[in-house]
Amino acid sequence: MIDPDAELVRNAGAGDARAADALVRRHLPKMIGLARRMLNDGAEAEDVAQEVFLRVWREAPRWKPGAAKFETWMHRVALNLCYDRLRRRREKSDPDAGLYVADHRPMPTEQWLARQREARVHTALAGLPERQRAALVLVHFQELSNIAAAEMLGISVEALESLLARGRRTLKAALADVAADLIGDAGGVSSV
Amino acid sequence: MDRARFETLLAAYGADRNRWPEEERAEADAFLERHRADLDEELKAAQEIDALLSHAVATPELGGLSASILAAAPRRSEGFDRRAWLALAACAVFGVVLGYGGGLLAPAPIEDDSYFAMAFEAPMAGDEG
Repeated sequence: MIDPDAELVRNAGAGDARAADALVRRHLPKMIGLARRMLNDGAEAEDVAQEVFLRVWREAPRWKPGAAKFETWMHRVALNLCYDRLRRRREKSDPDAGLYVADHRPMPTEQWLARQREARVHTALAGLPERQRAALVLVHFQELSNIAAAEMLGISVEALESLLARGRRTLKAALADVAADLIGDAGGVSSV
Repeated sequence: MDRARFETLLAAYGADRNRWPEEERAEADAFLERHRADLDEELKAAQEIDALLSHAVATPELGGLSASILAAAPRRSEGFDRRAWLALAACAVFGVVLGYGGGLLAPAPIEDDSYFAMAFEAPMAGDEG
């Protein structure tokens, strides 16, 4: 298996600033996306992404391409950091944690509406049971292979598919009251 | 591929077959061609969920965050310093080894005092007479 990141990681570990920059540009949006969808909190998502990269810099000098791709390893680290934060939230039982905070900055109406729809779906996603949410985030949004995602969650591909299906059904039910509006705004459905 | 497997894939991965496991796509496409009319309703339901999920975008502003992440990245100069320290340590060890080995190779010290005694006792040229 060829790891597309192997050379960048080796060079970044040796102190090559351009390689480090390329790694950040390639993976930072994905790490933030994963954390944002798992935690439903932009600031916490940035903290998680930063922590992932601190570990990347620590591991890079001694990284050896092995069974797992570097990107898969990064996803695993990010997911575990999200699980830690979710657990801490539960322990503190902070009722406001992960709730969408309205964006009051002035913006065009269309943009404002888009933000509202986005927030509504993020909140519905955040309401899914943790395992269903993780499965959807890894496969649908992060576009990991079903095998990599199942391995990361410590389950079989069959169990992953069951989590995905339940997650999608639950999400649809949670958004039932606004589904028509959201689906219409996304361009409706077309023949496949 | 049978209908049950097709429906499982549709329910799990959605209507976009590019998201389906690569090894099953061709069979799924063939199955769909044969049974499209029967699957219309399921396909539409899956597409609706795909449309809902498409709103969960996460477009971060990366500028400041990228900069602080890169500020913590390993630097080449740090690597050089480490190598320099290693080189210095290697030189020190080499020096010690050289000194010790050189000592072993040197002629054994003359411990017999008779040479010195002879040197003082022997008559010097010009003493005679």
